[in-house]
Amino acid sequence: MKFAIALFSAAHAPSSRRALLFARAALAGGHEIVRLFFYQDGVYNASGSVVTPQDEEDLPRQWRSFITEHRLDGVVCIAAALRRGVLNAEEAARYQREAVAVDAPWELSGLGQLHDAVQDADRLICFGGA
Amino acid sequence: MSTLHVLSHSPFGDDRLNSCLRLIGANDALLLTGDAVYALQPGTAPFNALNARAPTLFVLTEDAQARALDIPGTAKGIDYPAFVELSLHYDKVNSWL
Amino acid sequence: MPTSLLVISRQAPWSGPSAREALDIVLAGGAFDLPIGLLFLDDGVFQLAAEQDARALQQKDLSANLQALPMFGVDDLFVCADSVAERGLDPTCLALEEARVLSAQEITALIDRYDQVVTL
Repeated sequence: MKFAIALFSAAHAPSSRRALLFARAALAGGHEIVRLFFYQDGVYNASGSVVTPQDEEDLPRQWRSFITEHRLDGVVCIAAALRRGVLNAEEAARYQREAVAVDAPWELSGLGQLHDAVQDADRLICFGGA
Repeated sequence: MSTLHVLSHSPFGDDRLNSCLRLIGANDALLLTGDAVYALQPGTAPFNALNARAPTLFVLTEDAQARALDIPGTAKGIDYPAFVELSLHYDKVNSWL
Repeated sequence: MPTSLLVISRQAPWSGPSAREALDIVLAGGAFDLPIGLLFLDDGVFQLAAEQDARALQQKDLSANLQALPMFGVDDLFVCADSVAERGLDPTCLALEEARVLSAQEITALIDRYDQVVTL
């Protein structure tokens, strides 16, 4: 079965870890993830600027590894990312900002990608809040 | 059609549990994750509300365990593989973000 | 048949970007001609309170975005009757006239009618 997984909370939120564990279980169960879509504070999971305390789980790094290893589509909503200062090189240049926080495998795109994933998948699962 | 409702906020000082219990259908189920498992704390208003409505109830085991909360016999503790299967057993998943 | 999506908006208009970001999901879906519904629930009903003034908080006025919904092909707009009553609002005086006021039972049936749902 095909899943679209959307994450709305930052890397330090427990729901982000739950999303990753769910995603891993979905693949381990032989299912497919059509897209991982990061919206609202979920965009922070894509930030290369996050420095996780050494005694905590490094969710941004784990998401990056997971997406790379399984060649998944990790899309970050561009509007949500801009508002939160999570910019790739292109947007940083466009808006003349110093910090570049996102690069491959993450892709900045619009909400159309979320809708596209919902249309393609059998299930939409959202994680976020707390 | 059936819905798996997923909660992750503490029921104390938050209206998600009560709103969810008001809307949950006869074929639906409720999965408590994160701080939402505090609804299992006996003798509390959320615990009573949960028992009064008595939906088909699942609990993410790791969250109950971390908080030293017992999973009652009326609920089923699940892990992530079971969470994935549940999400397919029900027609859709409504996470109360 | 395209997958239908119900967006449930539960946050008050200016408690952060949530109300706007919920609306953006709906407008994007409408722009792609997808079957989208929008339900205002709990504090989300405050988005429909009459005569609000966003300028007082230097915030974006969402009412223009709300009024644009039918133009984006989003006609399936709903409000929770209990949430409206609990918050002392007049169900006949909401900012979105097209929104249908629903009981809890009707909302249960509404959720059932959609293929997928996102609640924020």
